[in-house]
Amino acid sequence: MSPLCRFLRTPEAVAGAIILVALFAMALTAPLFFPRDPQAIAGPALLPPFQDWSLPLGTDRLGRDVTAELFHGARTSLAVGLAAAAAALVIGAVVGTLAGFAGGLVDEMLMRITDAFQTVPSFLLALAFVSVVGPSLGVVVAAIALGAWTGPARVARAEVLSIRERDFVAGARVIGMHPLEIAFREVLPNALPPVLALSSVIVAAAILTEAALSFLGLGDPNRVTWGGMIAEGRTVLRTAPFLSIVPGIALVLTVLGVYLAGEGVVETTAVRRSLS
Amino acid sequence: MSEFTISRRTVLAGSAFLLASTALPTIGLAQTPRKGGRLVVAADSEPRNLNPAIVASNGVFFISSKVVETLAEASFDGKDGLDPRLALSWEGAADGLSVTFKLRDGVKWHDGKPFTSADVAFSALQIWKPLQNLGRTVFKDLEAVDTPDELTAVFKFAKPTPFQLIRNALPALSSVVPKHIYETGKIEENPATNAPIGTGPFKFAEHKPGEYYRLEKNADYWVKDEPYLDEIIYQVLPDRTSAASALEAEEIQLAAFSAVPLADLDRISKLPGLKVITKGYEGLTYQLVVEINHRRKELADLKVRQAIAHAIDKDFVVKTVFLGYATTATGPVPKNDPQFYTADVPTYAFDVAKANALLDEAGYSKGDDGKRFSLKLLPAPYFNETKQFGDYLRQALAAIGIDAQLINNDSAAHIKAVYTDHAFDLAVGPPVFRGDPAISTTILVQSGIPDGVPFSNQGGYKSDELDALIAKASETLDTAARTELYKAFQKKVAEDLPLINVAEWSFISVVRDTVGNIANNPRWAVSNWADTYLAG
Repeated sequence: MSPLCRFLRTPEAVAGAIILVALFAMALTAPLFFPRDPQAIAGPALLPPFQDWSLPLGTDRLGRDVTAELFHGARTSLAVGLAAAAAALVIGAVVGTLAGFAGGLVDEMLMRITDAFQTVPSFLLALAFVSVVGPSLGVVVAAIALGAWTGPARVARAEVLSIRERDFVAGARVIGMHPLEIAFREVLPNALPPVLALSSVIVAAAILTEAALSFLGLGDPNRVTWGGMIAEGRTVLRTAPFLSIVPGIALVLTVLGVYLAGEGVVETTAVRRSLS
Repeated sequence: MSEFTISRRTVLAGSAFLLASTALPTIGLAQTPRKGGRLVVAADSEPRNLNPAIVASNGVFFISSKVVETLAEASFDGKDGLDPRLALSWEGAADGLSVTFKLRDGVKWHDGKPFTSADVAFSALQIWKPLQNLGRTVFKDLEAVDTPDELTAVFKFAKPTPFQLIRNALPALSSVVPKHIYETGKIEENPATNAPIGTGPFKFAEHKPGEYYRLEKNADYWVKDEPYLDEIIYQVLPDRTSAASALEAEEIQLAAFSAVPLADLDRISKLPGLKVITKGYEGLTYQLVVEINHRRKELADLKVRQAIAHAIDKDFVVKTVFLGYATTATGPVPKNDPQFYTADVPTYAFDVAKANALLDEAGYSKGDDGKRFSLKLLPAPYFNETKQFGDYLRQALAAIGIDAQLINNDSAAHIKAVYTDHAFDLAVGPPVFRGDPAISTTILVQSGIPDGVPFSNQGGYKSDELDALIAKASETLDTAARTELYKAFQKKVAEDLPLINVAEWSFISVVRDTVGNIANNPRWAVSNWADTYLAG
């Protein structure tokens, strides 16, 4: 049975994949369906959903199209989630590999730094970082990655510790490869799968962190974000609850989708690895 | 959400009242104000500096006007719209060179020392004139304050100063602070800046950052039997929606300064036990203003400023951002001002095509991406409406090819960025009109104001003509001639656009119907609340 078949056999994974595909479709088609600036004023203010079919999800306090904001918000959420996760994984894998492969003082130093980062709650770290540097998309990505790289680093180090004792590593040493080359060309690729398994959790957490930052007004104010939409809707929560509920649902579904699909992939690959 | 522990005293006070009410069942029905009780009020910000003599702004007055009193307070029916407070009477000399105040006898500071004319002289000369954001302009020619006796203070001016202006300035600018507290050390660093000492009906008790301010009754207050309340708590609720829910849950009894979002008023007004009140803010008209940094070469060009003025749909702003609780503005004096307003000024109708044409004329043509240039836009964070207008303005500017990048700051960072560091191109500000252009409005366009003075012209704008007009009006004694000069001032500001006035609005209070004597003067929210009471 091919991994794809096994993936498709698990209903949760399929549900997750469907959500993710829909989300990516939203993000990719946003500029096609809503070529205008999503923050442009499109109609009367506070129009409830399903009243006017040109504005299916209604409008916010200023008359901006909620549907357009939702589509463009998907772009921000996904971009931040993926970029932050990628950055965290790269930093984590590099630090973990170096620590595990070098051992000794380097290992000690890198792992104590990792400890230091792990002791600070990652959200606080992101909050502090963004308030000091100032909110923009790149800064938000960096802030989230700053709190998320420690997990991958620890997992990578543990894997590397076991891999570096294997015969093919000894072989590489014998033929005179440079230690860094061994670490990154021989050891790291073999240590990656369990590290990548963390990615779904990191992406999901990154999307939530980004939303929380925007909710607190520390997102990029020049971009639509779901967290920002919820925050803005909050001022009229009692009068127009849909303004917070719509992006809230989108956020829940996204995180759920990422998580389910990620689990599915991990399950599938885990079975394959245990079979081999 | 912080909670207040039930102290023995409040329990005793409460049970004493219960006893009293059973003994005299008619007491609750009488219209006389009841004594005692704790009024819990929503506060949306925590001012760093609570000295109203230095920072004359409503955020500070809201709390400290109960502690530190002024010479006179605004009034609906008093002579010249004033009610005596620490001063009993005031009289201007015909030559405009002196004003004589007769002060109230038997007033004591909260630490027990007597209040005298020396305190007034000290406050005027050492604080209002050199340090106060508004006082520096109004009292700039104040030379000396003579104190022939303990209860007389004679203000001596180097140049003729209109008595009309001094009168109009009294409610906001004349907070008197104790000389014996402030005379040692640097005034700005005095501990009383954060824990004010005054003569008012309430004493400053404590401030728990992020939680509340507590004021307690001044038993020695100079009005017999006042204040009625035992305590005022300013519950810090920075989140505006929580003010509405806190009112509904009876956690607070009053949300002033439109702490309840405009969008919720319709719903709230239908709830039993809550009242929506638009009175009590007549002396506090806020103006929605686009502040402009004239150091930017694009913005130094009048055509660009005109284009921005044409790009703003004022009716949309009033209708959508303020939900109708505002009026459109034509210039730097609000329409509701009975003395100075003139409609005879250049106006800028909403006209995107014209705005685009003006920008083309100015030489800023659209690039390939449809953008002419980029600007930093800093909306003041104090009101939902200023933030929302910031969002709107960004869109309005996008329509004419100006790419505005929003920068959100908290209050402290916003004041620093705009008024000290000048790190803005456009800012959205809510200055207050206080009944006379010389008090709060001319400072927004006048040149030569030192860096760091909040809510003043920090955009680097300089017009000799306007400076001359302002200077002339400040020394014209004749009321009619002075009014004419301010009309010319309005015309010139609307013509030259040192800033763009968009709308004018005032506030709305939502209050439990058990709170009595509210909104009984034109600056009620920032007056002393000595006669405010809580019915049973």
